[in-house]
Amino acid sequence: MLQIKPILAALRRHKAGTILIALQIALTLAIVCNALFIIGQRLERVRRPTGMVETDLMAIQSRFVGTEENKTSPLIKADLQALRQLPGVQDVVSLNSYPLRGGGWSTGVRTDVDAKNSKAHTTQYFGDEHTLGTMGLHLLEGRNFRADEIMQADPQALPDSAAIIVSKALADKLYPEGHALGKPVYIGDSKSPSTIVGIVERLGVPWNGTWTDSFYENSLIQPVQLVSSFTNYLIRAKPGQLADVLKAAPAALVKVNRMRVIPSERGVRTFAQVREYAYKGDRGMAILMGVVCLVLLAITAAGIVGLTSFWVGQRRKQIGVRRALGATQRDILGYFLTENLLIGVAGVAIGALLAIGMNLWLVTQFEMARLSLAYVLVGVVALLLLGQGAVLAPAMRASRVPPVEATRSV
Amino acid sequence: MLKMTHLSKVYRTEVVETYALRDFNINVNEGEFVAVTGPSGSGKTTFLTIAGLLETFTGGQYHLDGVEVSNLNDNERSRIRNEKIGFIFQAFNLIPDLNVYDNVEVPLRYRGMKGPERKERIMQALERVGLASRAKHYPAELSGGQQQRVAIARALAGSPRLLLADEPTGNLDTQMARGVMELLEEIHREGATIVMVTHDPELAARAQRNVHIIDGQVVDLAEDPRFHQAVHAARANTPA
Repeated sequence: MLQIKPILAALRRHKAGTILIALQIALTLAIVCNALFIIGQRLERVRRPTGMVETDLMAIQSRFVGTEENKTSPLIKADLQALRQLPGVQDVVSLNSYPLRGGGWSTGVRTDVDAKNSKAHTTQYFGDEHTLGTMGLHLLEGRNFRADEIMQADPQALPDSAAIIVSKALADKLYPEGHALGKPVYIGDSKSPSTIVGIVERLGVPWNGTWTDSFYENSLIQPVQLVSSFTNYLIRAKPGQLADVLKAAPAALVKVNRMRVIPSERGVRTFAQVREYAYKGDRGMAILMGVVCLVLLAITAAGIVGLTSFWVGQRRKQIGVRRALGATQRDILGYFLTENLLIGVAGVAIGALLAIGMNLWLVTQFEMARLSLAYVLVGVVALLLLGQGAVLAPAMRASRVPPVEATRSV
Repeated sequence: MLKMTHLSKVYRTEVVETYALRDFNINVNEGEFVAVTGPSGSGKTTFLTIAGLLETFTGGQYHLDGVEVSNLNDNERSRIRNEKIGFIFQAFNLIPDLNVYDNVEVPLRYRGMKGPERKERIMQALERVGLASRAKHYPAELSGGQQQRVAIARALAGSPRLLLADEPTGNLDTQMARGVMELLEEIHREGATIVMVTHDPELAARAQRNVHIIDGQVVDLAEDPRFHQAVHAARANTPA
């Protein structure tokens, strides 16, 4: 039975409780929508692909000791050779960094030698002809580096690279009209052009902070083998053999040369561990936001249960009278569910506006993305369902009030 | 209209059984105005709550308007309460959050009646009790007598077959009580069946028939000269 008009009339006589619960629902919706949006964004970041075949990759961080920096080139070569001979290894490369490592190099790049400002910001990877194969990058256009293009270089005195491989994102940024292959790029403040010889589908940057969002897939690879005591070996295992390689690779390196330090913490990691560590903060934030949402929803649900229980107790006689006048148990249940729905609808209407307003404020203050209306819609439905769920127990208690209650004096 | 045969109502606790009604027999015919009297705790209100299907009974039979009610489920009992019975309570039992109009509307809404018909019936009932002009007032804005008139309008609006009144003047002063009683008499003259529980011999005297309950049983008035005298005296004092 439709009871909206008398329920609204009754609610007008209980303004304080009604307004407080509606406001609680509104605030909860506003906060939960924005928190879920942030969680969604964080989870989206956590799942961002790097462009590499992550399931087969592992990384070893090594620092030679007792050898001068400029004499480490043969040591690195020996390491690479030893690693490539391991039965489970498909390929290996020595790099300054790799996606999600947490540290690396970045620079501005231009397409016009005379341009004062860079056209794009990009990360710089230094690797050899094994880089694409080891990472498992998908070459869209052009070619890989040739062995004769690889230069040995001191990190403090990098030479200009005649050939570079760029990610598609960077290529599109530098040459929006397309056809970036074969075009020149000026790295940093260099006056010598580097020619794009290859374009890979995707290659992420080594960092994962929100500050990298604008250039997350802007990467270039220079054909340079850094001569340094510090290096990162990225190893690609043959399918299904990563676990074996994970044990064998560090042992092989120690066997080749004991004069090195491989950090006990994060020195040897599968790429899955690299990813997990990189996004620890994002996951933590998502969990924290999730807990805040749950606590808020629990408080709101408790508020609804509390107020409805109070109203049921207060209106016990009235419920008995309604039952005496012909209300069925279902009518009484429907009365309280409808009453809660009306308060909930008012609450979510205000809450939806608050959620959008709160997001606009976050957008202006913290450069957050605009809240998707889908989150508001999901939040509205969730809050209304939560309200109905919370009111169910006290409403059922109300429906069980016997009609004879109408004749009782207290 | 209302027939109870060998009816009993037992309240049980872990240690004791209390008979509120025992071998209770009563027959109220259509169009009768019956007053049910008896001392406090005699079972008057229990009789009324069972008659009004507000409570179930333990044994015996109860036919209301030809229907044996002992096997009805909660929904069926609700429907009969809504369609066949009008209640008038001692404490009026108006819903304080609703105005007079909405209060009278309550049973009609539960009947699923359409808006225009509800409105017509509500206004007719309020005019019948002389309170059409107070339709937008809340119960707290009315006197006790006016509140009881609203309760009577609520009971009448659904055109019930049976009006059950539980001490309808118990919370009213003499003048207001008289007005309410006159209204009930008018309603009875128009053909309504009324069963009124009261402990007031004067009110009982104004009914067509008196039923006296003691210890949960109907007693023969002829065997109770004190009550007979009281009724006689009350009738002598009642203006014609």
